[in-house]
Amino acid sequence: MEIPFIVNARKDTGLFNSKVGIWLFLASEVTLFGGLFSGYLFLRLYADYPWPERALPVLPGLINTFVLIGSSITVVFAWAALKMREWRKFQIYMAITLLSAGLFMVLKGIEYNAKFGHQAVRLQGGGPVQDSAIVEGHLHYAELNDEGLMVEVDEDRKKEDGVFKANHVLIKASEFTFVLTRPTHEAYVKEILDQAGDRSKISLAEPYRVIDKDELNAGQMNRDQLSNTELARIAEKGSELSIDLLDKLEDAFLEARSHDRKIRTEFLAASWDWVRNVKGEEEAATFIVEKEIWKDRRAEDAEKLKILSLRAASEVTFKVDPPLTLVLKPGDLVKKVNVGDLSAKLRDDTLVSGEVLPSPMIMGVDALDFRTTAQRAEAEGLDPVPVIEETWLLNHKAHHGSHDDHGETEGADHRNEFKKIWDCHMAWLKAETERLEKKGRVPTLNDKYRVNWDQILAYQALDYDVEKVYEQGKSRTLERNGLFDLDGFAGANHKIHKGKFPHLEIPRANIGFEATFTPKWNTYYAIYFTITGLHGLHVIGGALVLGYYLFFGRKMYDSNPEWLANRVEVGGLFWHFVDLVWIFLFPILYLM
Amino acid sequence: MAGSIEEVKKAKKLYLFIGTLLFVFTVVTVMVATIEWLDFGEHGFDGVDATIGLCIAAFKASLVMLIFMHLNNERPMIYFFYILGIVMAFFCMWLIGLSKSDPIEYGNESYSDGFYDPSKPATDVHGN
Repeated sequence: MEIPFIVNARKDTGLFNSKVGIWLFLASEVTLFGGLFSGYLFLRLYADYPWPERALPVLPGLINTFVLIGSSITVVFAWAALKMREWRKFQIYMAITLLSAGLFMVLKGIEYNAKFGHQAVRLQGGGPVQDSAIVEGHLHYAELNDEGLMVEVDEDRKKEDGVFKANHVLIKASEFTFVLTRPTHEAYVKEILDQAGDRSKISLAEPYRVIDKDELNAGQMNRDQLSNTELARIAEKGSELSIDLLDKLEDAFLEARSHDRKIRTEFLAASWDWVRNVKGEEEAATFIVEKEIWKDRRAEDAEKLKILSLRAASEVTFKVDPPLTLVLKPGDLVKKVNVGDLSAKLRDDTLVSGEVLPSPMIMGVDALDFRTTAQRAEAEGLDPVPVIEETWLLNHKAHHGSHDDHGETEGADHRNEFKKIWDCHMAWLKAETERLEKKGRVPTLNDKYRVNWDQILAYQALDYDVEKVYEQGKSRTLERNGLFDLDGFAGANHKIHKGKFPHLEIPRANIGFEATFTPKWNTYYAIYFTITGLHGLHVIGGALVLGYYLFFGRKMYDSNPEWLANRVEVGGLFWHFVDLVWIFLFPILYLM
Repeated sequence: MAGSIEEVKKAKKLYLFIGTLLFVFTVVTVMVATIEWLDFGEHGFDGVDATIGLCIAAFKASLVMLIFMHLNNERPMIYFFYILGIVMAFFCMWLIGLSKSDPIEYGNESYSDGFYDPSKPATDVHGN
């Protein structure tokens, strides 16, 4: 059957089929992205934290804008080539469009990858605003030494067995208590067994018993007597931990629970019959409310239930011998733990008993952000600068491995590296404030309370000499990263500047909240990944459609070139829409 | 919309011109955002910069829609679809705006500015 109006337009609408279809689809797309842009607006206007203005490196976004605009031109040229029946030119323009789509996605991948690998920590401590300073940077790596303690290792070894990111939590585990009904325990059990290896034996602390119900029903013994029979025993004390064992115990527990539920129902039904017999059908319902008589009857039932119910334990405890140093991702734990805590709960409710060992987060810091501290201090009516200078970050004593000088010589500088950076920043801010004052302007919140990676490196290059920083700030010769410097293409580059970014060890107690730059960190990254992720899917979808025309369109071109031209026009309309969305996304996400 | 070969040939020059304009205005947007002497309003990003940035973006988007997507010379039905999409997008904004003045929680002290504030006393829907 021939489909009408695929080449020529309908007389009444003046349109061919696919054009009507694509515009209806684009209308729904406008609504979809309109909703997401509204979400962005809402999140930004009502954010209760300093919004990350111009937080993304501009260059990848700018190149991607050029790439999409360029591909919009080539796709419309490809359509024009078909109209003029120039197949070869069509192929060339379409191929450039597809390469542009690929380049766009590669750049997006680089940008995403940089975000996934970039760590942020909100510090916590005392003071009027609970510290709230934020450090950003790159996590270092660590391993366990022979004593089971954490030691830092070079990043080159990151793929070796036993090497982990230095944000993991170490727990000296002596006991695990598993909740039998959690279906997620498999992954954790596997992880625990992997880490235990041959070093520790993890075995059942007590025999797990469920009374065999046939035995129970047959005899007149009470529950305690029955529990000593061999028939009731599901697993012996000392049985080694395995997923199969936990599954077996879970089955026994569920069977026992099902049995208990059944006899409870039976007893309730029997009680109901009793009430009906005593009081008659009509008064039975009101009689249940008269609690005194009913209470006696229920107490009798409860005594019988005590004997007859199986009441299997829903949790089982395993002993670890010798105690095992377990390395866990922070996300494996239900809540934050501190050094010395005697237990920690995994996300499947498994209780790890033992002791939380010192496991500081170790990172190379590429930005200090005191905007939240300042914002909270101002809300309390305090001057932000003294509050910032009281924060843990600027006052802690540096640990081993830091760039700080540990010498105790007379007159030695006892400031840690971050205090030196902050002092330099204050000098730069003074110069900047003076410069702006002449123009009747004032520094922004970012200028005042955020120290970017290029500033850290610039201050470091001047040996943290406050005078020099002030002078160079005044003359605007302080060397900072520009828009087109490739070493900051996707943000602070820890490979190029290896070893330069200040080393920081954050004790567990000072970690308020930590995340990579993913939706977990804040709503900015949540909406950024949502919109750009969806946009990226559109780029892939559009490229697949246009690629189909390029690689499989020849046959249609030979038989009905106008039909192919119409199809390419429709595919092109979608591609222009993808470009259109990016035209708004680029300034909103990268420049504002 | 270009139909004949002559029209298509003519349109190609227009596409190139529009593409160039889009490149130029992208550069202008970045310059406005990053070069100090083009920083209007207060120092750093502010409402003036946002307005300028969004106006340039809207202008660029209009060029793409009118020329590349041929909306400068399209059938009435297409305009209908397009306007429908825009209306629906603004409807979404209005829906989100409801969170600012939620009619269900209207009158509740703890939600008086549209957001839950535990420091304010909870009241019933009549404000009691």
